[in-house]
Amino acid sequence: MACGPSPTPGGYSVTPTEPLVRSGTGQASVRPPLPVKLVIAGGFGVGKTTAVGSISEIEPLTTEAAITEVAAGVDDLSHTPRKTTTTVAMDFGCITIDPTLKLYLFGTPGQERFGFMWDDIVEGAVGGLVIVDTRRLDDCYAAVDYFEHRQIPFAVAVNAFDGQVAHTLEEVRWALDVSDGVPLLVFDARERGSVRDALLVVLEQALARTAG
Amino acid sequence: MADGRTPGGGGEDGFPPVGPASAVRPFLVTAGRVAGAGEASSGRTMPVETQLVATTDGLDALDGLSFERHDIVAACRQPQSIAEIAARLKLHLNVVRVLAEDLRTAGQLSVHVPDSGVTHDASVLRRLIDGLRAIPDSRGVLRDSD
Repeated sequence: MACGPSPTPGGYSVTPTEPLVRSGTGQASVRPPLPVKLVIAGGFGVGKTTAVGSISEIEPLTTEAAITEVAAGVDDLSHTPRKTTTTVAMDFGCITIDPTLKLYLFGTPGQERFGFMWDDIVEGAVGGLVIVDTRRLDDCYAAVDYFEHRQIPFAVAVNAFDGQVAHTLEEVRWALDVSDGVPLLVFDARERGSVRDALLVVLEQALARTAG
Repeated sequence: MADGRTPGGGGEDGFPPVGPASAVRPFLVTAGRVAGAGEASSGRTMPVETQLVATTDGLDALDGLSFERHDIVAACRQPQSIAEIAARLKLHLNVVRVLAEDLRTAGQLSVHVPDSGVTHDASVLRRLIDGLRAIPDSRGVLRDSD
């Protein structure tokens, strides 16, 4: 372990959660790990769930992020906004690093029309991985923009379906207009080692941010 | 959409349906509340990775708890994230948030909201990197720790 003695044993004894735990009539029966979240964004069918499943220690779980959208009621005589509840499937998995630290991977739809749910999912994330299918680049523009504007460390990973990539990385970088500081890589969502290395690129990016 | 759970775009957009829909409207179990009392007053929301753990009081009171509250406390004998509880118990994320807040107020659940200052700390990121590097790929080959 290169990081030397942690100033806080287990890295979690500063218990940032005290404001919520203080009611204190009951003792937690078990101490939870520190949960760290990484978001995997991308269009439908781009390999998000495959990537999560390749490295997660549990079968990817699915939950629904429930969203209330307020639609402008142009054809609504009462002038009240029409509210529609939309649910979007979100797949996730996790990796237990040690008993005190757990990495969660949340896959979220990357298209712009799902942007309304990102704040809820992304809040507090250490970084993001945007998965790209070079045949459908436009599915990931919104996610790239989002991570850039929110200044969340991220990398762009081109999923090589059957080892095939339709465009070179230079072409993809140009098309997505991502800055040179954003790592761009080719990976295989089905390969655990490949997914691991893509996540490592994101975490290195986040670590570099702390030094800056 | 009668129960409010079925994704409007289910299937047509390629999203697989997420199991059978509940016969109970999702926010009925929270009496229509979309935020727990404590959460509303503190202004803090619980991120989806927030850890929930049953307290000893909660486990002692388990037999007296009904339905979703019972299931949440029982499932949290081992720490679980809000997202895991929502997925495993087929509840909406926000329903879990509200019920978790109620159970916390009653002393039956402890709620550990991660502090982003801690999760983004360099020492934590290094531990994640070291931990990930230790994961072998499908062929059992470790990544070079160059």
